[in-house]
Amino acid sequence: MSKKEKQPFIDWFLDSNGATSVAVVILGFLAGIVLLLCIGKNPVGLFTAIKQSIIGKAAKGGGWNFRNVGETLAFSIPYILCGLSMGFAARVGLFNIGAEGQYTMGMLAAHIVAVCIPAFPGQWMLCVLAALVVGAIWGGVVGILKAKYKVSEVVATIMLNYIALYLYPLVCLNMLPQGTFNKTGRTADLASTALLDNFLIKSSNLNIGFFLMLIAVVVYWFIMEKTRLGFSLRATGFNKDAARCSGINDTKAISLSMAISGAFAGLAGACVILGLVRYSKILTSQDNYGFMGIAVALVGNSRALGIFLAGLLFGILKQAYSIMQGMGIPKEVVTVIEGLIVIFIALRSGLSLVKDYRAKAKVRKEVSK
Amino acid sequence: MKKALLALLVLCMSFAVFAQGAQEAQQEQIKAVLLTDATGIDDKSFNAAAWRGILDFYGDNGTGRGVLYENITAQSSDDYVPNLKNAAEADWDLIITTGFTWADAVEQVAGLYPDQKFIIVDVDYLTQRDNLIQYIYEEEQGSYLVGVAAAEQAKADGIANPKFGFVGGVAGATITKFEIGYIEGVKSIYPEAEIVDFYVNDWGNPALAKTAAKSMYDQGVYCIFAAAGGSGLGVIAQAKEERLAGKNVWAIGVDSDQYADGIYADGKSAVLTSMLKMVENSTIDALKKVSENIWKGGVVTQNMANGGVGYAKTNSELKASAAAAADKAAEGILAGTIVVDKTYKAAQAKGIAPAGLGAIDD
Repeated sequence: MSKKEKQPFIDWFLDSNGATSVAVVILGFLAGIVLLLCIGKNPVGLFTAIKQSIIGKAAKGGGWNFRNVGETLAFSIPYILCGLSMGFAARVGLFNIGAEGQYTMGMLAAHIVAVCIPAFPGQWMLCVLAALVVGAIWGGVVGILKAKYKVSEVVATIMLNYIALYLYPLVCLNMLPQGTFNKTGRTADLASTALLDNFLIKSSNLNIGFFLMLIAVVVYWFIMEKTRLGFSLRATGFNKDAARCSGINDTKAISLSMAISGAFAGLAGACVILGLVRYSKILTSQDNYGFMGIAVALVGNSRALGIFLAGLLFGILKQAYSIMQGMGIPKEVVTVIEGLIVIFIALRSGLSLVKDYRAKAKVRKEVSK
Repeated sequence: MKKALLALLVLCMSFAVFAQGAQEAQQEQIKAVLLTDATGIDDKSFNAAAWRGILDFYGDNGTGRGVLYENITAQSSDDYVPNLKNAAEADWDLIITTGFTWADAVEQVAGLYPDQKFIIVDVDYLTQRDNLIQYIYEEEQGSYLVGVAAAEQAKADGIANPKFGFVGGVAGATITKFEIGYIEGVKSIYPEAEIVDFYVNDWGNPALAKTAAKSMYDQGVYCIFAAAGGSGLGVIAQAKEERLAGKNVWAIGVDSDQYADGIYADGKSAVLTSMLKMVENSTIDALKKVSENIWKGGVVTQNMANGGVGYAKTNSELKASAAAAADKAAEGILAGTIVVDKTYKAAQAKGIAPAGLGAIDD
């Protein structure tokens, strides 16, 4: 009897992508705890830091401090947007490893518009638009190369990541107006009207970028699941040749998906410089949001809601990262947990093997009866 | 009976003294945190030096880490402000930051937490606050000394018309102080010496710095001063190759004593001397000010007078006459008879620095 009750659970677990993602995250944390115990640290600090990032109640003193919640939500903006970027391409069967470069170019575009154009109210909208367009171009070029000339999108995007990274200081130092004072590592100031407004929790970095991100999540879901375009994209992802045979323009699908994917990452770049960094800093090393977007999309299984939740998780870990270091927990633990979550995601394909085996066993049983 | 009473009294007093001692020890244990960029305290440079100062202050070989002092690293360009706020809301007595990358974040957060003490090293242009000390170094003084030492070494080696080279990291007001000090030091011995310079425009590109050093040595440069962070290792590597090939050329290290980086044979190093910039002095100074309750916000200048800058004499091949000349120049700087310029503009106005160098002023 009990066995019969258990079986549906396993089947449900194997079928549900959400459940496997949750299991993978739990496994990652368990491994983190084991690691902490092995090096003789108390894992409690890890969870007090995470608790503080989620509910805002400080571990020491015990007071409520919602700034923590604000920072967590603010950090999750670029994670979710880069996750959408990766996920959008993945649904079309592309591996967009270039979210980092598209993010950097979006950031640069926002930076240029915020520095070069005289301040006017609502300037941030123009900055965001520029970031979307430049990000879309940076991604779209790869899409066209892939669709028309069969250039591997992985190689092309890796190269474009570095071009973007080195282009940033090159443009900032040689083409943008320089500040009159304290010039090292920055350009002239960003116009104050270009900054994304802090709202709700004023003491934190939480800004209107959060709403832009929410809109992006809805747009992602709508395009993918509710439009003809989304259907043709998904069809191309399942089987390019079959899609073409049934009249879907796969060249267009691939180019367009890379462009939209790049626009998401470009938006992330604009949100970071205008909402989180908030001054005219010249980017000199990769922020890794683009690369972490791959992990976010994998954990979220490239679904809008999944990416949203996974991005929140990575935002929590980022805010907890500095708090837990202050509690004596080594910073590497967070990186290890994040890395292990990505590795354990591979269990998904392992689980599908189990599923196949169980299906075969069931058939065999029925046949032998 | 009396004896017993006396013994009791002594016992009580000793307890009281011990208890007080214990209490004092408790009070002295202030807590400090070092905030760094993603490289953390293993960068063999700036962050490492600041961390060394913390370890020196506590003197416990790192056993107090996680309790009394800790290092918190950033992950990307946008988490400096949240990290500072997180640290300010935990119970640290002192928050330590280094370098201009933290300037904007410290400016913003120090104003929000007036009861939290902050320091920043290598920055002097932030708003004056009671809770913030800004440490600035007069690197031109130490650079002057290594310039003098290198020129005097060339003289002792009997080199006719020696050329001197400078390799900088990213051009800016800070590195200009190094270059101008070095040039003025060299020119105090050889007023007509030819100076060549090169800016890598990167703190972490030793390969490019090595190529530049090779072309400098090839055109007859005797000594190169590398003030380029991690890129400077390329200059030292090239100097090693040149010396192994039998050429009499040198490299000069920066910030900490880089003698060990230049060792190419037993007891022989291609690093003639190093310009020392004691970043650890700033962290020690700040920690002392907090623990002894003599904290006062403002700008603190680290120079020759308080041991903030200097030069290294580790290399046994550094001629006695060169060391003597550098020591004499140090005395001159201390006495005020030698004034070293900080800007390219000032040095050019005096006719010491040639036109066309890569140095820029803010």
